[in-house]
Amino acid sequence: MGKTGRLVSLVLVVLLLMVGSSMAAFPKPMGYVNDFINVIDPVSYKEMEIIAKNLKESQGIEIAVVTVASTDGMTAKEYAVELFNQWGIGGSSYDTGLLMLLVIGEEDGRVQREIQVEVGYGLEGDLPDGKVGAILDNYVLPHFSEGQYGKGLLEGMKAYAGELTGESYVVDTEENDAIKTLISFFVIVILLLIFSRRTPLIIGPRGTTRGRRGGGYMPPPRGPSGGGFGGFGGGKSGGGGAGRKF
Amino acid sequence: MVEEPAANSRGGINLKKGLVIVGIVVLILAVVVIGQYNSLVSMETNVDAQWAQVENQFQRRADLIPNLVSTVKGFASHEQEIFQEIAEARSRLLSAQDPQSQMEANNSLDASLGRLLAISENYPTLKADASFIRLQDELAGTENRIAFERKRYNESVEKWNRSIRRFPMVIVANMFGKAQYPYFEASEQAKSVPQVEF
Repeated sequence: MGKTGRLVSLVLVVLLLMVGSSMAAFPKPMGYVNDFINVIDPVSYKEMEIIAKNLKESQGIEIAVVTVASTDGMTAKEYAVELFNQWGIGGSSYDTGLLMLLVIGEEDGRVQREIQVEVGYGLEGDLPDGKVGAILDNYVLPHFSEGQYGKGLLEGMKAYAGELTGESYVVDTEENDAIKTLISFFVIVILLLIFSRRTPLIIGPRGTTRGRRGGGYMPPPRGPSGGGFGGFGGGKSGGGGAGRKF
Repeated sequence: MVEEPAANSRGGINLKKGLVIVGIVVLILAVVVIGQYNSLVSMETNVDAQWAQVENQFQRRADLIPNLVSTVKGFASHEQEIFQEIAEARSRLLSAQDPQSQMEANNSLDASLGRLLAISENYPTLKADASFIRLQDELAGTENRIAFERKRYNESVEKWNRSIRRFPMVIVANMFGKAQYPYFEASEQAKSVPQVEF
């Protein structure tokens, strides 16, 4: 190998090392709920996806839930901040994001069981660290101590969402889906009647029939779900939030 | 333009050419210096802005301490020594003027707060008190924010310190008397942010 050849390979190695060190290996987001270690039960999973989607659509707030087995040598807090900023959780102009990171694994032979809640800049006013911690104590940890991680995360998410929107988040699932279908069926029938009689005066402004801002929730998407997660909005966090080891 | 006398024309043209070349060189140098200077200014502004962020968090931390101390006093009124120590460290932090002494004051506050939290371990009712837990969360959050802003400050300082040693920036930096900025080293206490454990 010539001198230049050696130089080129040296440069390549250095470049590779630089790339390797600058990119911490964070997984890609799969949705609002990212259960990488399979500790969340399907019911809680579904409910959390619904709440998160609704919050995103009604308020522009993005809540992400992530479970991991390792924090790659960082503290859970550092990992949460890095992951938050890398994924860009929350809208980029107002940084309205929140991350619930659950770590269950082993670090240097020690069991690591920790939850970190990371709050974006834009939500720090509504969710001061003390409140974040109190919600962990009152809503999340009681379920964790019974091994119900999905339930704990769900109750935590409801509490945070409630704190952020001033509404209580009671998520209705299957039973109410039937009622919703029935209601939308009637709405369609009424609309058809209105249109067929051509009385435009009765028709309200565009979009009133879908005007569910802030109130209810969007029913879960039909058909194949999970494939179409478009990523987060580019929000930032500067270390706000609270955490607990348990 | 005045016509040059024929006898001088050759020398005159040479002189003019020389002047034009010198002029161009000076112009190019000026453009380079101005460009370098402007990027120096924007980098320095960045470092200052980052430091202001760190200072915000110092302030926030200093604001939390009286509440924390008065809560602990309610349960452990006889631990006068540590309250005194914290009050002194806090006022040192608030009165510090330059980054270096602010960093030192913050680090000594770290040490005192660490001791306060260690003392609070001896008071089970204090540890279970809701407002104490809340304040501890707020304090831990502030320390996390300081850690985060410190990292970003150090990154901007690193960029600055590296740039002003480089050619040709080093010449411009020396011309305008630009010096290196100090890194913000964390104290041992700050590296292990207090955790509320259950």
